[in-house]
Amino acid sequence: MNPLIPVGARITDIKTEIEEVKTYTVSVDGVFYARPGQFNMLGYPGVGEAPISFSSIGQNGSFRHTVKAVGRVTKFLEGLKKGDRLFLRGPYGKGWPLKKAEGRDVVLVAGGLGLAPMRPVIETILKERPLFGNVTLIYGARNERQILFMEELRRWGREISVRLTVDEVLYPRSWKHNSGLVTDLLDKVRVAAESAIAFVCGPEIMMRFVCRGLIMRGLVQSHLFVSMERRMKCGIGHCGHCQHYGLFVCRDGPVFPYDEVRGLPDGLL
Amino acid sequence: MTKRLVIKEAFFTWLDSLRKDYRLFGPAGREIQTAFREISSSEELTMGYASTMLSPGKLFIYKPKEELFTFRAEKEIFIDAPPVPGEKQAIVGVHPCDTNAILYLDRTFLGGYRDPYYEARRKNSFIISLNCSAASQNCFCSSVGSGPFLKAGEGCDILLTDFDDMYLVETISRRAEELFNVRGKAAGRKELNIKSEKELSVLGTIEKKVDVRGLDRLFRANMDHPVWQRTAEERCLSCSNCVMVCPTCFCYNVVDESSIDLMSGRRLRHLDACQDMRFAEVYGGNFRQQRAARLRQFVTHKMNQTGQYGVIGTVGCGRCITWCPTGIDLTEMTKEIQGT
Repeated sequence: MNPLIPVGARITDIKTEIEEVKTYTVSVDGVFYARPGQFNMLGYPGVGEAPISFSSIGQNGSFRHTVKAVGRVTKFLEGLKKGDRLFLRGPYGKGWPLKKAEGRDVVLVAGGLGLAPMRPVIETILKERPLFGNVTLIYGARNERQILFMEELRRWGREISVRLTVDEVLYPRSWKHNSGLVTDLLDKVRVAAESAIAFVCGPEIMMRFVCRGLIMRGLVQSHLFVSMERRMKCGIGHCGHCQHYGLFVCRDGPVFPYDEVRGLPDGLL
Repeated sequence: MTKRLVIKEAFFTWLDSLRKDYRLFGPAGREIQTAFREISSSEELTMGYASTMLSPGKLFIYKPKEELFTFRAEKEIFIDAPPVPGEKQAIVGVHPCDTNAILYLDRTFLGGYRDPYYEARRKNSFIISLNCSAASQNCFCSSVGSGPFLKAGEGCDILLTDFDDMYLVETISRRAEELFNVRGKAAGRKELNIKSEKELSVLGTIEKKVDVRGLDRLFRANMDHPVWQRTAEERCLSCSNCVMVCPTCFCYNVVDESSIDLMSGRRLRHLDACQDMRFAEVYGGNFRQQRAARLRQFVTHKMNQTGQYGVIGTVGCGRCITWCPTGIDLTEMTKEIQGT
């Protein structure tokens, strides 16, 4: 099989999440296995491809991608309609180590669009809730209008601890949650620190401070995992764009143990 | 595996007979620069060349530009996969550094996911390597163990060593043994001793040396060494010459081209370089916006990062030094860090 030739897929649903951000439900013919934290190269012939992580993984070859329209490919995707075709290659990369999280308290920290790759993690945990200990999700967005998956956040809050914060509050009267950085909320997390595991996804500078904050609160460095973003053209460890000091983010990541990527040059972790 | 001494004339006659089934590529031209190109007769070959600007591996196996597929818009979009490259080709006169560079490219394109275009060309390429009889001023292959003589059995089908009016011909692969039917004198201990002497004499002419032991750790401890910033500011033009001529640099970019009526087009890839400003750019930032960071990426990727494939990233061919318009020398930068 030629890994450079994309397969056709069908958009079966589109949901507008927030400004510039849509979730596409996509289905392919046949079986499609993917793990939370992996990604597809989404695109269209004549336009190009972009690496987009799964924001939900369903059965029967159906899955979701939540995409912000910021570049050539993603702006093209924004113009597609339900029923349209798109093309993809994948799934690629290593996902979140959910097996490792079983039997432990779990801390999930997401910033901005970083909640999208975290959603399949949460869905998996909710499906197998007894397998995990205390689960806390800390989610930060720029303001109330930038909060992703608000309905789900409410629903998830019944089974796991969900803490929200925004950098700036637009509507002080209706906002019942926190304001400020996600790192401010780390103190509120109740976990067995020495055994707990943490998954972090967001801007790299945020992940830097979250990981350091978690270590200061007693979590073990090797129990922290981050999902990284780099420019990618191939997704299969060939084109070299995502190279991060000897690592290929597409192939060796995008989810990395924090201690594997901490302090690498040209990164912020 | 056989070793025999063959009169050069007989060898080249055999080589020309290969053209029946193989396209033939080799070092050709004496004016200004010898370059690897397709030849129609062995008479065009310049086997005594010192170095070429471009390496055969990145010309004929990993192509500088490659069509990945074509597409056409009818009621829907259809993708047509190109045929797998099936042409047989023989590449002659490949120096040990460039032979090792092909082995390095194998790690990228055949190590995990297999690139079908590279794989097909690699299989269809009959490689006739040639041990060096002289070193150029920028060669440092002996420091990284990739030359000036090839260790037996590495990366080629046939290995040649110049014995004046003869070649010592070592057949390495099974297909070489089947294909190479020229009679010659079996090489014994005496001839192999002469070969070792020749290797020592070329080794003696290699002036550029660098100690690569412990570079992984040294570089990690010197990410802010002044040599990066100073060289970037005073000399580096970010022109990407170093990357383009490097036989182990594998990075590519992918571009889509559409016809003017948007009804058809193709996706292709072409060589790309980490020295390009936008190479590591993502939405909201650029991980190597600074020229110093890009220069450091190249130098450290070549001189260490053995963690990537378990081998050093350079084969010591010295092309990046030769073709740098401002004469930046990665071995000198390494030595400056080692000296502080």
